[in-house]
Amino acid sequence: MPGTEQWPAASVEARLETEDGVCVLTYNSLDTQDILSSVGDDAAGATAVFIGTTRNSFKGKVVTRLDYQAYSKVAIKTMASVLRDARTQGSRSEHHTPGTVSPILRCSVHHRLGTVPVGEPSIVIAVSSPHRKESFVACEYILEEVKRRAQIWKREFYKDEPEETAEWKENVTTSKAP
Amino acid sequence: MSNIGTPTITVLYFAAASTAIGLTVERVPLPSQEPLPLTSLSELLVSRHAGKGLDKILASSQWSVNEEMVDEPENTTLKGGEEVAVICPVSGG
Repeated sequence: MPGTEQWPAASVEARLETEDGVCVLTYNSLDTQDILSSVGDDAAGATAVFIGTTRNSFKGKVVTRLDYQAYSKVAIKTMASVLRDARTQGSRSEHHTPGTVSPILRCSVHHRLGTVPVGEPSIVIAVSSPHRKESFVACEYILEEVKRRAQIWKREFYKDEPEETAEWKENVTTSKAP
Repeated sequence: MSNIGTPTITVLYFAAASTAIGLTVERVPLPSQEPLPLTSLSELLVSRHAGKGLDKILASSQWSVNEEMVDEPENTTLKGGEEVAVICPVSGG
């Protein structure tokens, strides 16, 4: 892992595979195609993918990069718990006919750590299901819950501003909005 | 110097908390042999890092103890040996 000495010792790479899917925290670039292939299933009629990338602006400022860190031992368990919840929700979906094949076939959520330059993915989520509705719903649910719950933090760096003024972001949940 | 036998915890800091105090991990001796209520830990940590704005950060943070998020800090005590982390508002994604 090149360059990890500048990150907290507890912000390490992690991988957790459960019956609900695969969770990964990595300092390496995310290979979207590889993650997409990993949820492939002959029973799937749909695969939903979300790719979150570093945007080049924030409120008129030019963003140069995002730095991510995680409390990996805890964050990876949280991510697995989100996949569990996503599958539980999927099995209650009205679109799903009880007694048929599981509505969510495979899920995978990969989150990058360390520096993520503009344009590169920081998170990739892939979900496969027999029909489109369940994978769309699960993919969005996983994204929103990982953002809300996983012990992962990002710091935004701006052009022409000293690094020490870079801002630690806070995800504001929509449920708290007035 | 802490005496041998003084119960000690490990505290992990991330994100805004680590930036504020310039540390990502520290060993913190507990004030006595008696278990320390988790609700008293903020005061102890702020006293170790006075004037760095840690109090404000802790006010908006949660705790984890031994890799589990704490739902009820008022019912949690520290005996020594725990790994405690300051969980600032998260911002993954």
